[in-house]
Amino acid sequence: MTRGERAADIGWGLAGIALVLGLWELATRAGAIDPSIFPGPITAVRMAAGRLPASVFLDNMGWSLFRVTVGFALGAVTGTIVGFAAGWYRGFGYVARPLIELLRPIPPLAWIPLAIIWFGLGEPSKLFMVFLGAFFPVVTAAYHGITHIDPALIRASRSFGLKGVAMLFHVGIPASAPDLATGIRVGWGLSFGVLVAAELIAADRGLGFMIMNERNSGGSVSVIIVGILLIGLLNLVSDAAIAAFIQRRIGRWHGA
Amino acid sequence: MRQQLVQIFVVLIVVAAILLGLELGVRAGYLKAYEFPPASRIAEGFVELATVGFPTGVTIWSHILITVERILKGYTAAILLAVPFGLLIGAVPVLDKMTAPLIVFFRSVATLSLLPLVIVWFGAGELTKVILIGYGCFWVMLSNVVASVKYVDPVLIRAARSFKANGWALYREVVLPAALPRMFAGARIALGVGFMVIVGAEMIGTIQGLGALIMEARSFYRSEITVIGMLVIGILGFAISTGLATLEHMLLPWGRSLDRVQR
Amino acid sequence: MKRVEASTTPAGTTGLNADRDSGGRMAMIDIRRVEKRFSARDGTETTVLHDINLSIAPNEFVCIVGRSGCGKTTLLNILAGLDKASGGEVRIAGERVEGPGQGQGVVFQQHALFPWLTALENVAFGARSLPIGKPEKIERARELLQLVGLEASAGQYPREMSGGMQQRVAIARALALDPEILLMDEPFGALDELTRIEMQQELLRIWDARKKTVVFITHSISEALMLADRVVLLAPHPGRVARDIHVDLERPRSRTDRGFNVLYEQIWGGLST
Repeated sequence: MTRGERAADIGWGLAGIALVLGLWELATRAGAIDPSIFPGPITAVRMAAGRLPASVFLDNMGWSLFRVTVGFALGAVTGTIVGFAAGWYRGFGYVARPLIELLRPIPPLAWIPLAIIWFGLGEPSKLFMVFLGAFFPVVTAAYHGITHIDPALIRASRSFGLKGVAMLFHVGIPASAPDLATGIRVGWGLSFGVLVAAELIAADRGLGFMIMNERNSGGSVSVIIVGILLIGLLNLVSDAAIAAFIQRRIGRWHGA
Repeated sequence: MRQQLVQIFVVLIVVAAILLGLELGVRAGYLKAYEFPPASRIAEGFVELATVGFPTGVTIWSHILITVERILKGYTAAILLAVPFGLLIGAVPVLDKMTAPLIVFFRSVATLSLLPLVIVWFGAGELTKVILIGYGCFWVMLSNVVASVKYVDPVLIRAARSFKANGWALYREVVLPAALPRMFAGARIALGVGFMVIVGAEMIGTIQGLGALIMEARSFYRSEITVIGMLVIGILGFAISTGLATLEHMLLPWGRSLDRVQR
Repeated sequence: MKRVEASTTPAGTTGLNADRDSGGRMAMIDIRRVEKRFSARDGTETTVLHDINLSIAPNEFVCIVGRSGCGKTTLLNILAGLDKASGGEVRIAGERVEGPGQGQGVVFQQHALFPWLTALENVAFGARSLPIGKPEKIERARELLQLVGLEASAGQYPREMSGGMQQRVAIARALALDPEILLMDEPFGALDELTRIEMQQELLRIWDARKKTVVFITHSISEALMLADRVVLLAPHPGRVARDIHVDLERPRSRTDRGFNVLYEQIWGGLST
């Protein structure tokens, strides 16, 4: 793709965004949509800023980000280890796979009541939820990656004297990296969604809580809208960051 | 063959060990029955759910039906809207370029985060839940339909053109069939998303439906009912995805759906 | 080490003197009565290799030619120590082959380079079992890349290289351990004609410079005749030695040479029966 084509694409994209935002703002000003229920973008930000200080937004955002990051890290690391082990060591796989397959169809959100039963209403239950969101996609991806290595690579490494754990680390894991990367991206998206929902339903801090609370206390719709947009933006930016990181580490050698 | 037998054997042993462990652990007093409901309690709970119902009057079957009904309404609406829009956007490159970042953004908005907003606008009734499911399913399906049209193998198009198939005929006889496998895959993912959304959406503002069931049960300390609910949800999810996969196989014998599609 | 004695037995025959070749030297690779059987899932047994006897001298360049299904790759895997024979034995320099790492360098059909390592790192990987430090391994890798003419591509990934370049890196990697034997399984099969001819000349150059024993599998008769001192024909179902032909042509060889074409007809005839 030439640079000119790239620029044109971005131009069209921005045009699309501008169009939607513009229509939204116009509609509210023209009265087609009641601004007290659905304020336009500019109005919403202004109203939200007037209703709650920026520090409140930032504080809640911080809590949400903390939970997502920590929960995701735990889930991804555990998922990677379990997935690789289940794929590489058959015995472990016999035990682990069915357990995982059994629990996987249960959506992470369905674990909320049980999480509360086990961990109470504090941070651990939220972290557990996010952990679940990340664990399943990652463990599946890791397992798939480690069990689908090109046999030619295994044979080649054997001819150089590699075996056992050394082969797992020098060949198995690098060869699985592309699959694992996909699992991580999916897991992150899922974790994010799970966290927001969990905060909506059972929390006293965080962005999810903030917007639910605003509705429950009869506050301004603008805060809700801004909160939703913030969540969407955070998700987008973090996913793009992860994708860029993956592209840098793996993009160069993968894709033949 | 031998491997499968070993796997089945191991599964049976592991499951039996867990159930037994739970039962004994609770009876011996090591585990709290509230946190780890043993099989005996779960069995009793299930009987109650199936007959008397929890809350009284609402059996497990009602719960299932209500949840499924909500999903179906939202899902159908989403698909019916996403397919024509997606086909249009996929076919017109300018439209695609304009809408691409928007679609990505709307897809990134966590569906459940819209719950408070939708409640403010439409109240806390059935419509809200259907709208939420519809939203979640719509964007996922849309991006997959667009991709299914965009990424039809150009070799196929060129081959068709060389046989003088152009314009509408080209679209109908080559592009659409080639796009179907991926559209089906998108439909499958969208249903999964809808399923996840409803479970969360039912946890607020309603006492009927599977999501509501497991939340209610907890506040009444009936943890075994929560567990039953979770298992039913899992089975339902599994049945839905397997059902769709089978349907896809039957309708599209020529195409396999892709593993990596947009979420 | 056995004492070397003069012998008048013709090359490649079975018998008491099978561990010596026609020149009386001790065989580098000694393959005796090797059998390989596979059991399918339903219990039926297939014999892939039957009564293979070959004696290969040091520095000899042997090509194994045959149709698909004649067990050439299986034989190579057994020589490489990656597979075990069901019967008979293989000895390298007098020692039984128990596994890889007994002086075999292997070049596979699909280069099997690690996609996540650069050319330099791939070659250095070949030297990993050597008791030398990392900088020495890198140095060695650099030398080998120079040998195959790729020192400029040291930092490239396999994905960024052409098929010919990839195979050259694979050869360099196989040479990293300075093995006595080079086992090559149709390494140029996936390359286009021109590149293949280039690579054949490269290989001969390296063989001449480094003095290795080479066992080279190919399905191309002309490739075998261009490269080998000896062409062994394997017949399929089950795989067995059909012919063992010495190629007495002087190098560099020409495809238009009369001697070349006579041998070509011979081998072609042997393959067609």
